[in-house]
Amino acid sequence: MQISERKTYDCKPTLTDSQVLEFCKTGYLMFEGVVPDGINRKTVEYCDQYPVPEPRGILQEDWFVENVIVNPIVAGALRSLLGADFHLPIKMANHRIDCPMTAEKEAQEFPVMSGVWHVDGNYRYTPALNFLQVFYYPQDTPLEMGPTQIVPGSHLIRNKGKFMFHLDGIRGAIPTAAPAGSIFITVYHIWHRRGPSTASGIRNLLKYFYWRTTPPQRDWITEPGFDFGSADYAGGPTGDYGYVELFRDVIKVAEMFLWLCGRHESFQNLGGQSWPLTADRNDMPYGFPTGLPRPESADV
Amino acid sequence: MTETQKEIMNSLMAELQRGELTPAQLCRGIADLIGQTNRTPQDILYLQARNTSPESQVVGMMQIQDGKRVACPSDPDDWPYQTVLDAVKDGWRIISFPNMSLLAVDEKEVYGLGFEFILER
Repeated sequence: MQISERKTYDCKPTLTDSQVLEFCKTGYLMFEGVVPDGINRKTVEYCDQYPVPEPRGILQEDWFVENVIVNPIVAGALRSLLGADFHLPIKMANHRIDCPMTAEKEAQEFPVMSGVWHVDGNYRYTPALNFLQVFYYPQDTPLEMGPTQIVPGSHLIRNKGKFMFHLDGIRGAIPTAAPAGSIFITVYHIWHRRGPSTASGIRNLLKYFYWRTTPPQRDWITEPGFDFGSADYAGGPTGDYGYVELFRDVIKVAEMFLWLCGRHESFQNLGGQSWPLTADRNDMPYGFPTGLPRPESADV
Repeated sequence: MTETQKEIMNSLMAELQRGELTPAQLCRGIADLIGQTNRTPQDILYLQARNTSPESQVVGMMQIQDGKRVACPSDPDDWPYQTVLDAVKDGWRIISFPNMSLLAVDEKEVYGLGFEFILER
């Protein structure tokens, strides 16, 4: 079977407990320069030949599927987060722009205004992670070429796309400026926008979508010393920048992590200083869910 | 010339043609025209703060000046105001405070970006 005819894919997971937990906090993972230069050039040529918003034919090209869609480094992360036999993309979008993108051009060419902060349509705010959106830059995309900006941790904050049009500067937002061949993965409803561009030239940004076909379980690379009781579920910009009520991000991160572990039914928040709040404790945290694994070395 | 200015001018011309334009009416018409010329669009400033206090740190901002959105510096340290109070001291007037009805929303959920103050000058 041609690889392009595959519907699902499996490989070894590459993320560790700590990396999966970090993804729960930030909502994104960046892999810089993981696609070979020759494939990047071929992708740009394809996009020049088919300068359409949805160049779905590229998903029939084995060279593209092998090196981008099931890129060995990225696929290991997808496998870690979406489980075995995750479903491959069946739709391809190209957010192709002719830089510099002015406000006037924006209004003409992008009536939905991808240059303003938004969450993508049909979002679902949930601790479940059943799908991921992925972005690929086939050419160098420095700040001058308007790389996508994201707000790490914003997947934990509910919003509606049309309530975000008046937002502009956001403390903690980061640009995804990256060299050619870079791929980044995000939670679907992370806040994002196209950054302003000042240089001249075409910027392609391919965007596609994978989904889960198997129930979640902790089958990524487990760390022998990882302790669910003392793990740091805090941190990330939602905590650092105070967007949300104190500790609410901690609760949400822990719930998402347990969901990914296949232990969502164990999740509980008893309030106060209970688990999963981070603290230097001398005993098992109050409210620690029964049955969650703890390393032998953990003080209990 | 704005539509309002055209209306003022047409009114003056009509009175002149009827022979009814008095010096006092002419002076008032000129004053109205000048008043319209000096009129500038309302400047608007959205500031999203960490909490409901005007002294809290700004976590987001958007500014409209002379009818256009002002490009926001990418580094928050370069934003013109680090607190809502900084903006007030610079002449901005708060016209909308964070909506306390948000307290009625589910306590377990978090919504939007910070606590939004809207200012104008």
